[in-house]
Amino acid sequence: METFYKPPQRRSRLLSSEASVAYICLIPAFLGLIFLTYLPLAGVLGISMTNWTGLKTPEFVGFDNYVKLFTTDPYIKDSIKATIYFAFLSVAGSMIYSLFIAMLLNRKIPARGFFRAVFYVPFVLPAVAIYVGWSWLYEANFGFFNFLLSEVGLNKVLFIADSSYVVPSLSLIAVWLSGNLIVIFLAGLQNVPSSYHEAAEMDGAGAWSRFRHITLPCMTPIIFYNLLLSLIANLQVVTPALALTNGGPGNSSRFMTYLMYDQAFVNYKLGYACATTFVIFAILAAFTAVLFKTSNRWIFSEGGDDK
Amino acid sequence: MSELTYVRLKSKKRSERTMNAITLLLVLLFACMALFPIWWIFRTSLMTNPEIYRYPPSLIPENWLFSNYEKTLEIFKFWKYLWNTMMIIVPSCLAGTITATLCGYAFARLRFRGKQLIWTLCVGSMLLPVMVTLIPLYIGWTRGLGLQDSYLPLILPYFCGGGAFNIFLIRQFILSIPRELDQAATIDGAGYFRILFSIIMPAIKPAMIVVALFIFIGLWNDLLQQMIYINSSDKFTIALGLTNFRGQLKSDWSLTMAATCLSFAPGVLFYLLGQKYFVEGITMTGIKS
Repeated sequence: METFYKPPQRRSRLLSSEASVAYICLIPAFLGLIFLTYLPLAGVLGISMTNWTGLKTPEFVGFDNYVKLFTTDPYIKDSIKATIYFAFLSVAGSMIYSLFIAMLLNRKIPARGFFRAVFYVPFVLPAVAIYVGWSWLYEANFGFFNFLLSEVGLNKVLFIADSSYVVPSLSLIAVWLSGNLIVIFLAGLQNVPSSYHEAAEMDGAGAWSRFRHITLPCMTPIIFYNLLLSLIANLQVVTPALALTNGGPGNSSRFMTYLMYDQAFVNYKLGYACATTFVIFAILAAFTAVLFKTSNRWIFSEGGDDK
Repeated sequence: MSELTYVRLKSKKRSERTMNAITLLLVLLFACMALFPIWWIFRTSLMTNPEIYRYPPSLIPENWLFSNYEKTLEIFKFWKYLWNTMMIIVPSCLAGTITATLCGYAFARLRFRGKQLIWTLCVGSMLLPVMVTLIPLYIGWTRGLGLQDSYLPLILPYFCGGGAFNIFLIRQFILSIPRELDQAATIDGAGYFRILFSIIMPAIKPAMIVVALFIFIGLWNDLLQQMIYINSSDKFTIALGLTNFRGQLKSDWSLTMAATCLSFAPGVLFYLLGQKYFVEGITMTGIKS
């Protein structure tokens, strides 16, 4: 490939200095990749094979931690269930909500920039403040949502203190926070060629079939990106458990990352926590891989055949 | 024929107008719903506790009790927490943006041995979830380097390129700048760093601002890492301070909500200042990757 362009001999010294400039520029990235990424990744695997508690010198225990995790750990099953449940509700909810809002904002309405800002603003508020604020809306006796329920004649619900409501309640907050997805969707919608819509309209296609056969296929790359973004973020959920629920009530919001935090930084079982970390990593990787594997089946690329 | 088209066009225009009106109504409805929680929190922060517990609750406070904020500030050391948070955020944003720009420039423009391999490693690390490396990094920072109760473990990672995603973003942006500009400068005798500083950097200013904003949001939303690295209460950030404050004042909702609103304020302010870049930048991430 490179043979088309043969640099003259004079450039060779320049070229070597080009490389040295590049290496100088990349020093931060080298440090980051080695010390903040790949070495710690190996570290997780290594530490997970020990019984390190942070006090005594660690001993090598092989796969004991993993065996314990899957046979005797009281939390791991509930934790995986809670996390997947939360991620499913939050991802589905925020994808539908944000695509819907983006489609509304894509029509000709006045003050579009203002409305976009309104939907985006929850995203820039500090997460802890959001959970503390919402805990008041969810409050058992005087909270706003219970006021609404009593107005329509329903019984009060202990939103975050009831094990069957806590995950959906937290998911609703996650949906409310999906302003960045709206902005990305909106940009994608503006890139859908309007000539497609006009042509389809000429042929008498209704609004739904235009959405189904033009908007959706053109949006699949953006949908994929948003899906990936929100799946990875929501599977790593930890802040609501740290700030609000402490994993409770029961184990209903003991999300995987919170479980890991609890093992490592509350109970100081560092080796054991690393085994948990690795299991979480495997689950996350599996979800991401499935998403990537299926992606070429439903992502529409212009110019390619729609399959 | 032309008559028919005219009638059809006219009816189409009318139906479009009703559709737009319905859209506007829906947008208004949803916008109110999206803003409602924030308003509810704010209105609570201005009420007395008996007023909060009144039934039915009112949407607007009777007297706007801004004195609640004075009371809150006596216990909730907001200014100190804000200062502490900025002590983490400002150096991180600066270092992250600069190092991400350097790395992005190398990947986008310079030729060197091993580029493909390093780039692959970099992109690979983008898919690695943050929480995976948490424990080894914690051990490294606190045991290895003895950095207990310090901001450095939170800041120093941003001196290493500010994360692969930000490097990726900068690289994509530089790739979209015509190469002729650099070549012209090379002919004029400019070195690689001169090109970076005088041609590339001015052209990618929006991308650099976006990277800074992303780092800002990341640190702003973080609780887990601040929790494990910071212990003493005079080093608390807003996130830690608010968590702690809530624990102290479990039932005094008006003061808790006042503290919450105070914590909202800087984020909203930064957003309003950088709104243009925010939207541009997030759009960019969606389209370019």
